[in-house]
Amino acid sequence: MRLYMKNPQNVFLTGFYWAFVAYLFVPLMLMTAMSFKDSNFISFPIDSFTMKWYVQVVQDEQFLSAVGYSLMIAFIVTVVATAIGVWIALLASNEAIWGKALIFALACLPAVVPGMIQAISMRIFIRAIDVPTGTFAIILGHTVHAVPFVVIMAMTRLRSMPSNLVDAARDLGADNFIAFFRVTLPYLGPALVGGMIFCALTSIDDFVRTFFLGGYQTTLPMLIFAKISGGMSPEINAMATLVLIATGAIGLYAERRVRRSRN
Amino acid sequence: MQPLVHFKNVNKYYGKSLAVNNLDLQIERGKFVTLLGPSGCGKSTSLRMLGGFETPSSGTITLDGKDVTHLPPHRRNVNIVFQDYALFPHLTVGRNIAFGLELKGMPSEKIHARVMELLELVELQDYADRMPDQLSGGQRQRVALMRALAPDPDVLLLDEPLSALDAKLRHQMQIELKSIQEKTGKTFLFVTHDQEEALTMSDLIVVMNKGRVEQMGDPHALYARPVNRFVATFIGESNFLDAVVRSVDGNIATLDWCGHIIHATLTGPAAKVGSHVTVALRPEAIYAVSGQPDRKIALPGKVTNRLFKGNFTALTVGLHEGQSLVAQLDPVALAHLEGDDVWIGWREEDAVVLAD
Repeated sequence: MRLYMKNPQNVFLTGFYWAFVAYLFVPLMLMTAMSFKDSNFISFPIDSFTMKWYVQVVQDEQFLSAVGYSLMIAFIVTVVATAIGVWIALLASNEAIWGKALIFALACLPAVVPGMIQAISMRIFIRAIDVPTGTFAIILGHTVHAVPFVVIMAMTRLRSMPSNLVDAARDLGADNFIAFFRVTLPYLGPALVGGMIFCALTSIDDFVRTFFLGGYQTTLPMLIFAKISGGMSPEINAMATLVLIATGAIGLYAERRVRRSRN
Repeated sequence: MQPLVHFKNVNKYYGKSLAVNNLDLQIERGKFVTLLGPSGCGKSTSLRMLGGFETPSSGTITLDGKDVTHLPPHRRNVNIVFQDYALFPHLTVGRNIAFGLELKGMPSEKIHARVMELLELVELQDYADRMPDQLSGGQRQRVALMRALAPDPDVLLLDEPLSALDAKLRHQMQIELKSIQEKTGKTFLFVTHDQEEALTMSDLIVVMNKGRVEQMGDPHALYARPVNRFVATFIGESNFLDAVVRSVDGNIATLDWCGHIIHATLTGPAAKVGSHVTVALRPEAIYAVSGQPDRKIALPGKVTNRLFKGNFTALTVGLHEGQSLVAQLDPVALAHLEGDDVWIGWREEDAVVLAD
């Protein structure tokens, strides 16, 4: 250890790492700290602490309905994206299918196309096919963005699946359909749960697509944006802290699930 | 009697290459039949065609009198034990074995009884609730075997199931497999490239090479009476003598080999007088002694190589005619050293005239 610390290069790298960690966490910690401040102004010093902002948030009808709306959209997006994503993963893993690489690349494209471009093109597209902005349009937009997460996770898992597991199921009397539901899907299970959670998180977190495709009802990010436009208040900090804790916990859980499924 | 399985003139092409060439094979009920051959000889393809995972390019396969050539795997009553076992990793041992029974719609009490009965057969009754990754290689092997046996298939197909095990366990499993086959009275179709496995367990061995059947017969017949060079070298080892046919009497040929008159048994088609033939001679059929023996065949030579193998000693003896023969002798033959003069010979009934 002493030898390690003596190496100036290592001291530099270690110091840089901790600086990065601080840069990452200090804003979050500030935000959290301010959410407990017993004052309307977000500034130091914090003289006294209170839980009143949290009480206000959980009693805020607007907040609750935005959360409910976001969760509802996230749920539908996750279910649809999972069905499409697994289907594409199976297709792209099939040795006999022509153009597997192309199928895979196309399915993953939405993950790298800038959100802004996607949002604008989607907006133009829904107008062209006469779909009004609103819930359905948001779900369309979020789903396209969520599918790649499922495809990548499902394909990674499928690649580690012994090919004769399905053969064994068919040999024991399962047709393709039963073999899929009783062997392939359970095998994918842990990876799918991870992929689904990431789907849900990207949907809940999305602002740009929702902004372009949404109607009058606000999702959580849109509500927070609207509130900030009216000036910062510790209530927004409390809201953001709640979201941070919830998504952080779910994200960590998903990450662990996925990592375990790879072993 | 009608055979249980009948491959009738079955061909299988992959693109332009012929993987199985005009296979005609009948398997009787209750037999342990082995397809033996080097990799790429078509043995696994043949097994997979019976399992329903490959479709013959031409010919038909009947199972219990019914044409199954084009039936999908789940609609034919055969089950496979895969080379890497292919146990379902998300199901317990018990649920793995129950898989085929559940799909047959068997009531759950019956399934439970059947699973326990099978687990007892391989002494794994305490492992029903374990997951496959908690088992050793040999235990997984047994579970895979029981899973395939559970639905009571007409034929159990085994695709090199012992190749993943270490040598000691492999020997043990050979004995266990044979005893399970005898206990259950099931028909086993076993695929392997290991001649020892084939000789130990089989009632009938089918030797395949390059998609064709070279010879079939019971283990002893194949070993003692190989019909061609491939069989004579693939199963055990052989010395080959090039000889000219002098006369043929029934299935005994009189031959001229390097000026010596020798006799050998014909196993294939009758050889023409005057033609050149190859005679196969197993190393353990050859004797070697120091002084000139009073035997019909006694040829002088010199030991050019000696290998001690524990339970036998292999001597390479150079004959004065310029030929070299390998003899397998008791460890007693340690007395013969490299460079020693010896006399060798063999019992004539052990010599076989090959078809090529």
